[in-house]
Amino acid sequence: MMPDITTNEELQQQQQIKYGELVVLGYNGQIPSGDRGRRKSKFQLRQRTQANGLKAQRQHLCKNADEVQKLTQADFHSISYTLSRNQTVVVQYAFDEDSDMFQIGRSSENQIDCIVMDTVAGAKTFDDLTVPQSTISRYACRIVVSRHSPYTARIFAAGFDASKNIFLGEKSIKWKNDRNEMDGVTTNGILVMHPEGDQFDTNSKPTKWKEVSVGGSVFDLGEGRLKFNYQLTPPSNTDNILKDGSLIDLCGATLLWRSVEGLKNTPTRRLLEMELDQLNSKKPQCPVGLNTLIIKSQPFSSTSSTQPNAYVYVLCGHVHGNHKWGVKNDNNESRECPLCRTVGPLIPIIPGIEPAFYIIPNADNESTTSYCFHPCGHMTSQSTALYWSKIKVPYGTKGLKSICPFCSIALSETKPFVRLIFQDSIHSRQ
Amino acid sequence: MALKRISKELQDLQREPPANVSAGPVQPTDMFNWQATILGPSDSPYQSGVFFLTINFPTDYPFKPPKISFTTKIYHPNINANGSICLDILRSNWSPALTISKVLLSICSLLCDPNPDDPLVPEIARQYKQDREGYNASAREWTQKYAM
Repeated sequence: MMPDITTNEELQQQQQIKYGELVVLGYNGQIPSGDRGRRKSKFQLRQRTQANGLKAQRQHLCKNADEVQKLTQADFHSISYTLSRNQTVVVQYAFDEDSDMFQIGRSSENQIDCIVMDTVAGAKTFDDLTVPQSTISRYACRIVVSRHSPYTARIFAAGFDASKNIFLGEKSIKWKNDRNEMDGVTTNGILVMHPEGDQFDTNSKPTKWKEVSVGGSVFDLGEGRLKFNYQLTPPSNTDNILKDGSLIDLCGATLLWRSVEGLKNTPTRRLLEMELDQLNSKKPQCPVGLNTLIIKSQPFSSTSSTQPNAYVYVLCGHVHGNHKWGVKNDNNESRECPLCRTVGPLIPIIPGIEPAFYIIPNADNESTTSYCFHPCGHMTSQSTALYWSKIKVPYGTKGLKSICPFCSIALSETKPFVRLIFQDSIHSRQ
Repeated sequence: MALKRISKELQDLQREPPANVSAGPVQPTDMFNWQATILGPSDSPYQSGVFFLTINFPTDYPFKPPKISFTTKIYHPNINANGSICLDILRSNWSPALTISKVLLSICSLLCDPNPDDPLVPEIARQYKQDREGYNASAREWTQKYAM
């Protein structure tokens, strides 16, 4: 290892212009047990010291496997579209000085910048993240960003493998578009959803999920994830340009794109921690134990002393400590609130500390500790709770569902979030 | 939990004592047995009286209500000769979010506004409904006799 060189590279990278952040839904600031190298919960996309974008240069029609092999083994990037056994179109790509490319996928090979594995809803340890069979492609998609202001970022399905190729085999869906260029889609598909609105706040509305092709065209979806006749239908008006709040679904994990402009108006991690300290400094009390509740940012480490100790009665919002009074039917689904006697679920409160999931607040003084998602209990701001409860993302084989961005657990359909009512002190309560 | 909670309540009562009531352990060594006093509310026939009560905490307090009774004799439709109090929050409507301070304040309210429809002493309840002047006179008389 050459630590000095690595450090220099990293330092150099830090000074580069930031394009935006790519954040995997379902993680609260990091992968359980910590980020590992290029496998992280959030990726900073910055201008490269040297451009590595690509542009299509030439299209070859190959009549046999030898010709294909010769082209794909040559030292340039290519996408091959196998039309039949003796007909393959190989599109040769050349470097583009004006763009940077970032590749996303399950593979840990060097050409993948962002390693993304299947999200396991509610995973608390690294072992929880293991899935028997991944549905994410090793080379799932790529994002190409213009190196010139306004640094437009575009999404394309499929990524180049270690030998700089993308192969669309005989069975994959492909077609020739109206510009006479080959295009196709990947097996599980790459879906995009651009929220409608000027910025990533509660005024922006979800739109339909669409599929993006290898060539970057965007198509309406058929009934299922991939039941579509691409040749016969022109691409939809929504293009593949990512905007603040755009979602990208890899079939197994969903990514959120945050633009640098949008992040400027979003709470920072430091602010979230300050507001959490502020909440704790008010010494919220359990009305039953009369003890001070402490809302911690890492309640799920392995030591038992860091178990969450603040809970909320979902139907009324009263915050209590962990006690056993008012248990009906032997579970936490029907608990009687000692303050107002409402019977409903009782859930622990866990601070949501990934700042990128926070919506641009409607007011400057909006609290980031005033609401929590139900049923997972991730605490957040009102606008963030409101926004994510309106957004639906592909949820395994269960269609589209609203999820908590901090843990990916599907939100309650009847009561997706709760307004928290803390008892600041026993005396000010009366 | 009980001892910790009772100690916390005592601390809170001493730091910010509520108006017209006071409470604390009879013996400093026994936190489960308290004595309390209530000053007769000024808008009631119990005005100027000092009423003593005993409070016994169960071991599973606050999940079970405390046992509270008057030791001072009092003329009231919801309090009998033994000092027992008929108050829903001390029985079926108990909640662990209630504190001694809140319960004593509820008892003060009960002194101002008896509940004759759920009486412990039916004769006094009947009198309270039919002959308010007579009830007021008797209550004042008992207060002077036993609570001053």
